[in-house]
Amino acid sequence: MLFFGLGGLFYVSVLLINAVAILSEDRFLARIGWTTAADPGFGGARDDASIKARMINLISSVRTLMRIPLIGINTLIILYEILVP
Amino acid sequence: MQRPGYAAPAHSPPLHHPVPQHVSSVPQLRSPPPPVPPSQPASGYGYAQQPQGGPSGPAGGGGGSYMHPAFGGFMNDSTAQMGVQFGKTAMMAGQEYVEQNLNRFINVSAIKHYFNVSNSYVVNKLWIVLFPWRHRPWSRQQRLSNNGQEGYYLPPREDINSPDMYIPMMALVTYILLSTLLAGLRGAFTPDLLGYTATSAFTVVLLELLTLKLGTYLLSISSSSQLLDLVAYSGYKFVGVILTLFLSETFNRTSLGTGIGGTGGWIGWVVFLYCFGANAFFLLRSLRYVLLPDQGSSVGAVGGAAASYTVARSQRSRRTQFLFVYSYVVQFAFMFWLSAGTGAEGGKGAEKV
Repeated sequence: MLFFGLGGLFYVSVLLINAVAILSEDRFLARIGWTTAADPGFGGARDDASIKARMINLISSVRTLMRIPLIGINTLIILYEILVP
Repeated sequence: MQRPGYAAPAHSPPLHHPVPQHVSSVPQLRSPPPPVPPSQPASGYGYAQQPQGGPSGPAGGGGGSYMHPAFGGFMNDSTAQMGVQFGKTAMMAGQEYVEQNLNRFINVSAIKHYFNVSNSYVVNKLWIVLFPWRHRPWSRQQRLSNNGQEGYYLPPREDINSPDMYIPMMALVTYILLSTLLAGLRGAFTPDLLGYTATSAFTVVLLELLTLKLGTYLLSISSSSQLLDLVAYSGYKFVGVILTLFLSETFNRTSLGTGIGGTGGWIGWVVFLYCFGANAFFLLRSLRYVLLPDQGSSVGAVGGAAASYTVARSQRSRRTQFLFVYSYVVQFAFMFWLSAGTGAEGGKGAEKV
């Protein structure tokens, strides 16, 4: 009863996470400047507190974490769309 | 071995082996028959007590007739009693196992804290949600615990500002039922409308939670409030949505407004805007202590003091902006979706399937 209308939302979220996962690190994000700082300053606080740094962190962690499960989820969705009329 | 005056049932042969004289404490599964002589602890075991003579015989037979005769014949077997004992122990062990595993997934005591409400609390809280302007002190009261932990919040029974889960849960169920009822009155009821409404309501709660979590992460707010607090705060908007739906439908039926139900018609819009404003104000005041913890109370001062040194002025203004945006814009979108989305969801879902 609860999961009935949730299919569309699930598809939208999977598509969005796909979009985040295929962002290329060196071709796209380096051009914008959204790469993580390779050499954090040792003496002071990290630059982690700004919004931009945290967003960059979030994007890179989503990419690292979700690349492989997304392959599986996408395969399942493709199979479901092909086999179920 | 036959007692005088006792009529043995046809299918229960008289037992000749010695039966244990002690009384087992296995509880009876049926209600005991009322007129039980005090010499017998339970009427089923009357058969086992040999020294009881004639007077207890007819009483035992009379007591046995209250129950199913096979039940009385079953219980006086010693192996059957052992089997019952074993079953009881096994069931209790299984129950403990289930409870232990359940406690690992759901924190039951934390949930119990949120349902610790009283009648006056519910009434006053609903009053605050709908008319938040008159309420003066908004901070949650804390109390230092005795066993050395940090201060914990008072339960909703004693603190009017503490969020509870009772009102949001009741409001959620009422919202689902009410919107389905209104759809039925409109003639557009299908049984999966219940599922759609439930799904959309849960989606709203989930999206709000995600937004709040994302906001706290991006703005590096180290909030000490629990997850269920945020769920509870996001559930208070259902009260306003219920009021909007009910009032607009009532007035639209009596032809005071124009258009269909939901937020159609000017009176529906007025009620909706008022409820939205009240909810936004309520959230603004309540979430101030969650999202801007450096303005909070002094019990969490140890963590709060360290955090406030690293909070710059720009961060504070950014957090306040986030709070404003969240309270007003996001809530407007969600409340509008909830109060106007019942007919649309049904149609959209039907053609999708």
